[in-house]
Amino acid sequence: MELLGVFASVEQAAAAVDRLVQAGYDQATITSVTSVPYPPGVFVHTQRRSWLHWVTAGGALLGAGAGFALAAGTAWLYPVQTGDKPIVALFPTGIIAYEFMMLCALLGTMIGMFLEMGLPEFKRRAYDPEIANGLIGIAVTFADETQRHDAEQALYSAGALRIRTDEAPA
Amino acid sequence: MSMPADQHYDAATANAAMLSSTRPATWRWYLLALLLGAVVACGLYAFSYQVMTGMVVTGKNRPVMWGFYITNFVFWVGLSHSGTMVSAILRLSQANWRRPILRGAEAMTVFSIMIGGLFPLIHLGRNWTFYYMIPYPSQYGLWPNFRSPLLWDMMAITTYIIGSSLFLYLGLLPDLAVARDRAGGWRRLFLSVLAMGWRGTAQQWQTFGRASTLMACLIIPVAVSVHSIVAWDFAVTLVPGWHSTIFPPYFVIGAITSGVAAVITLMIIIRKAFHLEAFLQPLHFDNLAKLLLVVTMLWSYFYFAEVFTTWYGHQPIEWEVFRFMSDKYRLLLLIMLFGNTVVPISCLLWRRVRRSIPALLVITLLINVAMFIERFLIIVPSLSHKNMPFMWGSYTPSLVESTVMAAAFSGFALLYMLFAKFFPIVAITDVREETEALRGTAVRGRARLTTLVDEE
Amino acid sequence: MSRQARFYQWGMVIDLDRCTGCGACVVACQAENNVALVEKQRFAEGRDMHWLRIERYWEGEFPHVRARFLPMLCQHCGDAPCEPVCPVYASYHNDEGLNGQVYNRCVGTRYCGNNCPYAVRVFNFLNPDWPQPLPDQLNPDVTVRSRGVMEKCTFCIQRIRRGKETAKSEKRLVRDGEIQPACAQTCPPGAIVFGNLADPDSHVSRLARSPRRFRLFEDLGTDPSVIYLKGGGHEHAG
Repeated sequence: MELLGVFASVEQAAAAVDRLVQAGYDQATITSVTSVPYPPGVFVHTQRRSWLHWVTAGGALLGAGAGFALAAGTAWLYPVQTGDKPIVALFPTGIIAYEFMMLCALLGTMIGMFLEMGLPEFKRRAYDPEIANGLIGIAVTFADETQRHDAEQALYSAGALRIRTDEAPA
Repeated sequence: MSMPADQHYDAATANAAMLSSTRPATWRWYLLALLLGAVVACGLYAFSYQVMTGMVVTGKNRPVMWGFYITNFVFWVGLSHSGTMVSAILRLSQANWRRPILRGAEAMTVFSIMIGGLFPLIHLGRNWTFYYMIPYPSQYGLWPNFRSPLLWDMMAITTYIIGSSLFLYLGLLPDLAVARDRAGGWRRLFLSVLAMGWRGTAQQWQTFGRASTLMACLIIPVAVSVHSIVAWDFAVTLVPGWHSTIFPPYFVIGAITSGVAAVITLMIIIRKAFHLEAFLQPLHFDNLAKLLLVVTMLWSYFYFAEVFTTWYGHQPIEWEVFRFMSDKYRLLLLIMLFGNTVVPISCLLWRRVRRSIPALLVITLLINVAMFIERFLIIVPSLSHKNMPFMWGSYTPSLVESTVMAAAFSGFALLYMLFAKFFPIVAITDVREETEALRGTAVRGRARLTTLVDEE
Repeated sequence: MSRQARFYQWGMVIDLDRCTGCGACVVACQAENNVALVEKQRFAEGRDMHWLRIERYWEGEFPHVRARFLPMLCQHCGDAPCEPVCPVYASYHNDEGLNGQVYNRCVGTRYCGNNCPYAVRVFNFLNPDWPQPLPDQLNPDVTVRSRGVMEKCTFCIQRIRRGKETAKSEKRLVRDGEIQPACAQTCPPGAIVFGNLADPDSHVSRLARSPRRFRLFEDLGTDPSVIYLKGGGHEHAG
């Protein structure tokens, strides 16, 4: 379950994070929801290690192999002599392998990014459309009703305009 | 930077200003769309006529088997080079002035490479058998010939179309969420699907930043390879005037020249059409024009290097091609040198010119006219006077070819208009990031200075 | 390509001293290979379909002016520039040294035409049209090409095929002079000789060893199968 306090200013939102931490929340359960990227540490630090570049590298490797297989393999499957060029020619095969490598690396990066971000998101999440207009959201995950009460207290005392949850409206 | 200092900054106002292109269409928009659509329809008619009649309706002949279509192909692929590439280079070099330019440039790439990719298909003698070039397991058991530069072209352009579209979409993602939150009705649904539930959590932004950098690193070598391969279409042949090792880098520089010029032209149009004067300021044009100055100098250097070696070596057939070109197409040659070298270098040296919107509009349009001529002068004279003097000829584009070309320009404009109507044409969150998240003030002695957080 | 031992390596010798520029070969080629008729205007536009043409060059100043004739046809290059550039293998090399062209594979990129230094490849800009009664004289052994495809001299591959089939049925190799393309068969002064270059004793091989031999654009490294014998010998003599 998630609560989202919406703040008008950066300072209030940052104060809310401080209060949540004081109230005993782990930093990892707190995140900011903003329409522009803030430098790390303005609200929270994200500790998760990124493995995105490995997906890119995997895509590149796969693509290079596929490109090589396509260019060399198809020429070898049905060999047709053209000019004095060898059936499996070095330079053209390299070019095709390169293009496929880049294509798959690009696709891999996008797929890796979406996986790492957890998008597309089908579940209802705590959100406020006014965040698009510059408001700053501080989201916190809670376990039970007492925690929820503490969190609401902390958010409101820091100056939250309103609090949203990920529960369906009654 | 994006708002005058005395005015109170408000993110909602900034959003509204940057999304101005998505406001309900006026009658003028419809009129323009109708007009452009009509030209596209003419082009489609001309193309169908060509398909039904044969290539006899073009100006092509023996020995000039390639003409306007391939000129257009090289031109459009060249145009597509700046958008994504410049945006990627500026992203990586953390040039803050890039922000308002990104989206317009990236969209330009996607649409021009799409148009460019159509031309080799339009140009086929039997367009309806184009799929013979696609590697798929057919019942003949025969595959396409990967030793042919045309296959490299196909692979490179496919990669570039997909890559630049992904790059555009990647940059759009947070902006789609902003547009989604501000939209209603079917637009909201449409944008919600495309935004995929983006919220903008710290985690998402971090991953987004990493992915942007990675994509920028990957798309630059792709762009370089695409135009190198287009150059190899010519350079690997035995045709005098084409068979030249300098072609790939020369083509890449030519592509960036025409691309940067087109980005400036488009920025001027977007600025005027969508009232983005607050975001696209003289500073942005000044910086882009400096970039343009550098690439036109590079282009001139390459051109000189190419012609100079031909002139000095004086191989009869190589020189014959140049002699024929400078004789028959003297006016075009002069316009090209004037538009690509003399005018940009002499004018863009001056800060006043670089900051003058009308001057830039004229110069950038002239550069693209010159770049089109350059491609024409590379393709046609070489084919006209090949090795066999008995089979020398010349080429004049036909009405059908010119109509298809006009349709390409209109189609590009139409696609761009539609894109601006449905999507944020300015990189909203990129622009706002600078003002809202990176900008601060610091007191030094007696002064209050504006500071900018350095991105990592 | 490794030069493997093989029975046939088709080649041609054209003796420019014998060529009178009469153009009989051009007509014979057109009749044999169903080469499309082209109107005068289209011809002037450069849409002619000749697989074989007589190139005429003028030498000297009036009144001491001489015409030089150069019969030009596909040179069936060993390292043909037209072949590797084709994206769909419509242009390919066969193991008898012929430069093949598969019409129904061709998509019409015309890349081969650009890359041919001899400019002997022709493109069907229009559908061929023979007014009555000319369709009755079309050669049934040769495909009629439709618009949008490239074509060129095949060394009369239909005659080569037939010759080889006859030889095979008689369990022997093709005899020298048994196969003649239409141009060689027609040439009144016998300037064009066709045959098997793999056989060192064939007529064509013997002629090909002449000190007058040269090949066109040897410097381009295309390795043509058509060998010309230098003309104008009597002028040098006298």
